[in-house]
Parts: sequence; structure tokens; C-alpha cells
Amino acid sequence: MSKSLRLDKVAKHFGSLVAVDEVSLDIEPGEFICFLGPSGCGKTTLLRLITGFENLTSGDIIYDGKVINHLPPQKRDFGIVFQSYALFPNMTVKQNIAFGLRMRNIPQRLIDERVDEMLQMIGLAGWQDHYPAQLSGGQQQRVALGRAIAIKPNVLLLDEPLSALDAKIRVRLRTVIKRLQQDLGVTLIYVTHDQEEALALADRVVIMRDGRFRQIGTPFEIYKKPQTSFVAEFVGTSNFISGLRTGNHIQCGSRKFTVAGADGVGVDGDSIHLAIRPESIELVGSKLDIEDCTPENIVETRAEVINFLGAVVRITFLMEEEEMFIDIPEKDFEKMALARGDKLMLHFPPEAFYAYTEMFSKLI
Amino acid sequence: MGSHYQETAVVGNYQVSSARMEMDKFIVPAVTICISALLFFFMLFPIFSILKLAFFENGELALSNLTLENFYRYFTNAYTLNALWHSLYVSFATTLIVTVVTFFFAYALTRTTIPGKGFFRNIIMMPLVAPSIVQALALIYLFGRNGLITAHLFGTSWNIYGPTGIIISEVLYCLPHSFVILYTTLSAVDIRLDEAAESLGASPLKVFTKITIPSAKYGIVSAAALTFNLTITDFGNPVVIGGDYNVLATEIYAQVTNLYRFELGATISIILLVPSLMAFMLNYYISRKSFAMISGAANPFIPPSRPLKKTLYTGYCSGVALSIILVFATVIIGSFVNIWPYDWTLTFRHYDFPSIAGYSALWTSVWISLVVGIAGSFVTLVAAYIIETKKPFGKQILYLFSVMPAAIPGLVMGLGYILAFNKPYYIFYGTPWIIVINIIICNFTLGILSSISNLRNIDPSVEEAAISLGSDTIRTFFRIIFPLSRVAFLQNFIYFFMRAMTTISAVIFLVSATVHLAAIEIIMLDNDGWTASANAMCTSIIVIVLAMLGVLQVIVKLTARRPGTAPV
Repeated sequence: MSKSLRLDKVAKHFGSLVAVDEVSLDIEPGEFICFLGPSGCGKTTLLRLITGFENLTSGDIIYDGKVINHLPPQKRDFGIVFQSYALFPNMTVKQNIAFGLRMRNIPQRLIDERVDEMLQMIGLAGWQDHYPAQLSGGQQQRVALGRAIAIKPNVLLLDEPLSALDAKIRVRLRTVIKRLQQDLGVTLIYVTHDQEEALALADRVVIMRDGRFRQIGTPFEIYKKPQTSFVAEFVGTSNFISGLRTGNHIQCGSRKFTVAGADGVGVDGDSIHLAIRPESIELVGSKLDIEDCTPENIVETRAEVINFLGAVVRITFLMEEEEMFIDIPEKDFEKMALARGDKLMLHFPPEAFYAYTEMFSKLI
Repeated sequence: MGSHYQETAVVGNYQVSSARMEMDKFIVPAVTICISALLFFFMLFPIFSILKLAFFENGELALSNLTLENFYRYFTNAYTLNALWHSLYVSFATTLIVTVVTFFFAYALTRTTIPGKGFFRNIIMMPLVAPSIVQALALIYLFGRNGLITAHLFGTSWNIYGPTGIIISEVLYCLPHSFVILYTTLSAVDIRLDEAAESLGASPLKVFTKITIPSAKYGIVSAAALTFNLTITDFGNPVVIGGDYNVLATEIYAQVTNLYRFELGATISIILLVPSLMAFMLNYYISRKSFAMISGAANPFIPPSRPLKKTLYTGYCSGVALSIILVFATVIIGSFVNIWPYDWTLTFRHYDFPSIAGYSALWTSVWISLVVGIAGSFVTLVAAYIIETKKPFGKQILYLFSVMPAAIPGLVMGLGYILAFNKPYYIFYGTPWIIVINIIICNFTLGILSSISNLRNIDPSVEEAAISLGSDTIRTFFRIIFPLSRVAFLQNFIYFFMRAMTTISAVIFLVSATVHLAAIEIIMLDNDGWTASANAMCTSIIVIVLAMLGVLQVIVKLTARRPGTAPV
């Protein structure tokens, strides 16, 4: 029932600023797509282009095989949920949900039915006569969702819908959104700067930076195979080590790492940037035998700071005077009874490294 | 859960009406053109007519007719030239006094812990509810040739007619306007700056001159510019209390009404337009800057003032408040006593208005004011909505046109209306409708500015939400924007209503043998020697305006939405 949506070299310039830079993407019917990126990366502008609130500078937006560049937002058949909820404060929950239906001159009987159905769906049955100011933030966002869905849109667009909410409610509403999308089979485009949210929700994640798509893939691909150092840094946590390529090894200061995935990344003498996830680094000891390790990838160091994060414990250590992290499961940590200053023997598995020739500029 | 969605697809696909969407494309351009046309026809055209008459021989537009003859005549005639000096003198003196008086008044209300702040605030706003003639009427009753204080208490022959009278009455008239600006400024400037300076060992005088005054400088200049503009363009007070002392505003009226010299009236109008335009531009420029100075710190804690300071400021504020009360008390009491100041028996006889119009003028004023109030606040809200959120082509020019009326003295606009519209084919000329339009245009600026600032408080995504749900411009305006602007609308309504009830200068040229207005009747009655009845008319206006204020207060309370939040 949903229809395909295609972005073809979509660009938006504000004066000399290029907010969105010729991006292309095919969105399958019923797909859950997340635009993920830091603030100012152009993700909200791109969403506004799709909704029709902004006009394209160049490129095409193609919906159901038709170019819709000049179609006003009212005719686009899209439901939109805003970061600030944007409920009509002068209307009750019921009137808010009914608004889009009223605009379509649907008979009152059908409106009432549809509103009741929506109230059930968003779990706010019985709240229809409340005004938005009388609802909590989470409830308000549910109404906003119900209001957008009521008009039976084929595409739902959500602009950071959860960022104004408390952490707990955020996680709970995430599930609500995911389930609604699956039940309705609607195409959903979701903009967020929260990588956890994007990975948890999306069928495909689009990583954006400086108006361009940096990587498109399933959450698993994005997390496990970050194609650029930026993606490795922005999604999840990564330790970065810089070094020089010498034959099949990467020379980092006094160390020479064996890196499995570095073939074809740079030539001899090039500087190479390695990234490794904190949870991919292994503690040599109880579980891991030293014989199973790649000897040149073993690092001896000390625990500088220990942070208890719940399921995992993050230990900060120094390597070549750079701060790095290792995450170990809380249960393992408990067994080993590590303390600050204790010696650590760490193994960097060759296949756990990502190697890049470029390094994105950190803003810090 | 999902099955719900499929099953109840009763209506195949919910669609927005295409015809409506087609029509919607033309709404914004059409409204933009209407508002531009309104301002063009009823503001620029009249001003253009004045320019034409002043600069062209016989007011005929041709290069060969271009002449400065009228200005030459004006500047070579000692009597008319004096009007300019008089106006400047009176305006500068008033500006200086008002700014100083209101600065300390606002200072007392924002920086000290004197008692009765609410009372003082209400009293200083009082002059807004009466025509700018009430001050002059009161001063004449108190200090005139037959004044209660001059002639009867002190037995002196000195009287207040002339520049002194004008200055004092203008001071009493301008107080609320200047006060509002300075009060806002002083409330916004962080009081902790003063405390910090004091804690570093600065003396109170030093804190005042080095911190308090400089931090409020934009507000001070803005208040001074506004006062200057109000004074130089005021007509009611100088015409009553000026005596032989002519000012520009009264001179325009005299030239046109008594001597039928329209071209000289137009010329003086332009001479009046120059300083008032300059004051307006200064104010406009300054108030844009001063926005940046305002911090969000509301309701700061004011440290308790020292007893002496408290006593001094309480006394000072009481003095100012008493002067204003005295003005109103004099006029109101004066309207009820038999013969002021000889026979104090109470009577209603002055309310039997001796003029032809009498009560009909009052009722005309009321219905015109209601129409002005509703139409004015509606038109300015629509214009603000179009300018602020729809950003049409030519937005900047439309905005400039919208704020321009504040720069044009009412009297000048009124004269422009006669010159432009006194033609048989303008059928609205000579009807109350031209008065309605004139008052709306003259007060367009404040209406549109307050509407714009209200619209800026509405989350733009609320409007986008409505659009994304299929709403067009008209339905968005009436279902979302208008209800959310309700309070601003009511405030604008009362503003337009008050202006329409009390304005004199804007409409004095537009009343006719058939259309009479209460505020103008005051001048007519006073002119014909029915001073007590003039007071009675003035009192009637005050009562009506206060009653309307009360009614609106009730409406605002009744329509206020239930606040409150639900548990999470």
C-alpha cells in the first residue's frame, strides 16, 4: 500500500551555504529509514525538502513514480511529527487528531470513528477532552503521532520526535513508534542525532555530515563496518590510533600492529588511522589464553580510570600517551576484581581494527 | 492493532480538495495586494496630496509649477514662523521634563521597595483613557483667569495660558507613554549590575551615573524621542490652553479652518512632518538596538531600600500620582458642580449638552470606536501574519509602509484626507467611514508591531503541522493563528478603541455637519464657552473607556483556558 520515494541528486543552498549537497536515495515502500548526523549536517533541511516546506535548489524528489518537487505540503500525502510536538494548544486531544480529517471534509461519523481508533492505537483512550497543556511531554508526542497517522499518510516523517523527552520515556516511545510502523506498513523517515535511537529503530541508517550521505546501511553494517573514520567515531565509541604503513603492518610509535582489514588501504609509507571499538579489545587472562593472541598486538598498560556503566565497565588506559577505552562485561570485571593502577594485558585482535587513510577533523 | 488500519479504510484515500489548494495559491498575493493598496491609498496618497499642494502652484502637478513660494511665505512671516520656534521650545521643554520625571518614577517602581507600586502604575497610565485635552481643561479650572488656585486661593491675576500651560499639560499627557518605555527598560536591565558595582565600593551616586543611567540609555533616548513626537504633534492641549501662543499644530488648523489657506496648511504640515519624522526614526533605530539589551531575568529580587530613599521615592511618586489624579478629579468634579469655582452645588445640568450634536456625538464615537477596534485589530493581525509568516514578495516595503503611520502626525494625515478625498466621486468622504479608516491607518503601526511580536511567540511548527495536515492559509489563520492570538487581539482592540474614543488631531478635519465625534465636541463646547459641558463630555469619554477596559478584563478572564498539567 505504501509507495516508493526516491531522492535524485537533491540539493538545497541557503545563499552560499550548501545545506544539502546532491544526495540520492531509494526508499522502499514500508521501509524505516533514519537520517543520522550531528547538528547542522543538513538532516532536518532534507526532511523539510521532502515535506515541501523548503524548495529544492536542484534535483528531484520522486514519489510513486512522479516528480513532486512543486507539490505543496498539503498534497504530499505525508504525515509529519515535529520535535516540539506542535500540537494546537487551543484544541483538545480529540480536536487535534480530527484536524487533518476535518481539513479533508470527511463526514463527522467517520471522523469520530477514526479518532477513537487513533486514541486506542496511541494508548490515550479517555484523554480525548484534555488540552495539550494538561498532558505530559510523552503523551503530547503520542497525540502528535496519532494526529499524523489519522490522515492515513503513505509516508510518515518524524523530525527528532523524542529529543525533548526524558530518557526513560524516550525508550518507551521508541518501541511505540517501531510497532506502529510495522503494524501500519507505512514508510517512515526518521531524523535524529541520537545514534542509539537510529540503530535501534531503522531498517537502514543514513549517516549525514556536511550535507552529504557518508554511509547508508543496516544498523549492523553501520556499526560493524564503518566506511569512514567519521562514521566509526560518530556511531558507537571508537579508539583511534594513527600510524604509518610499513609492509603489512601499521607502525604506531614503538608498536607494530598486525591489521587484518588493512589490505588495499594506502601504500607503504602512508599514514593510516586505525579505529577499534572498546568492546573489541580483549583482556588477556582468565578467559583468553596468551597463546591465542597475535603477539605483536599485545599491549601492557595500567588501568587509569574505571567507570561503571551498568552492563559494562569502561576502563581508561594510556597507549603511546593517548587515552583509550576498553569495555568489559560487568560479570567479568567482578571476577577479576580490577582496581585503579592495576596492570592490564590487552589484546587488539587484528580483525577488530578498521583502517582509514583519512581522518575527519574532530571539533573538540 | 495493525488490522484496524486496513479494515477501517472506509473512505478509500483521504484527499485534500484540489480546488481549495488551487485557490490557496492566490490568497497570500491577494491579501498582500489588498493591504498594500489600503496603505497606499489611505496613507501615501493623502501625504502625496499635501506635498503636491505645498510644492506646486495651485497644487497642479507640473514641472513648471514647482515652487518654494509657500515656504518662502511661511518663513518670511514672523507670526507663522514663530509657530515653529514655539513648537520646538514647548516640545524640547516637555521632553526634558517628562523624561526626567518618568525616569525616576520608573526607577522607583523597578529598583526600590516602596509600597503601592500597583497603584502608582495604574495612576500613571490614566492619561491614556482621556483625550489629550483633559489636562488643559483641568489646568484652566485650577490656574486659569478664573482658576480655583490662582484667582481664588491666591487672588493673583497670573494665569497659565501660553507656553507654561502647554508645557505642563503636555507633560501630564506624555507621562504614560514615556513611563512604559522606561519601565520596560529598567525592568530588563539586570539589577545585579548595580549590586556588583556597590559591592566593589562604588558610592550610590556613582552607581547611578555610571551604571544605571548608561545601561538604560537606549530606553531614555527612545522615551525622549516618543515624547517629543507626541508633544509636537498634539493639537488638543495647545488649542485650549495656548491662548495667543501658536504652535505648528494649531497653526495648521487655523490656516485651514479659519483662513481657508489650504496651501499654507499643507506647507506647515510638511514643516511639522520633518521634526516628527526625525524623532520617529531615532526611536525606531534605537528600539531595534535596545532589544539586544533585554535579558530574560524577570522579577528579580530587589534588595530593601534604605528608609530615607524609600521615603523620598514614596513622596516623589505620590506627588506625580497626585498631579494626575488632580487633573482627572478637577475635570470630573467640574462637570458636576453648578458654577466652578463659585457655586459647588452638584448638578447634572452640564450633561444636557448645549451643542447640536450632544449625545449623538457620543454614540457616534462609541460605534465608530467599536468598528475601529474590531476592524483595526483584525486588519493589523492579518497584515502581521502575512508579513511575518508568509513572507510575501515585497515584504520589506510592506513592513516599512506599515510602520510609517506612526511617523505621520494625525493632524497632517487628516489634512491629507481632505485634500485627497474631498471629491464628489469619493462617496465615503463626509461619512463616518472615512473616520474609521483614518483612525485605523493612523494607529496601524502599534497594532501591527504588537501583532508581530505575538506571532513570534507562536511555534512555527504549529503552523507547519496544520499545513501538513492539509490546512490552507485561510483555515490555518482562522482555526490556529487567530485563536492563539486572542489576547493580543483583545489588547489591540482596546488600544484601537481608546485611540478612536480619544483622538482629536487625526479626526478634527474629518468631522462634518453630519458626523460629530465626542472628542471634537469637547473643543467645540469649550470654544463656545461651555467649559463645564466640555468637562462633562470629557468625563463621559473617560467613563466609557474605563467601562470597556473593565468589560475586556472580564472577557479575558472568562476565555482563559484552563491551565494545569497532567501527571507523567
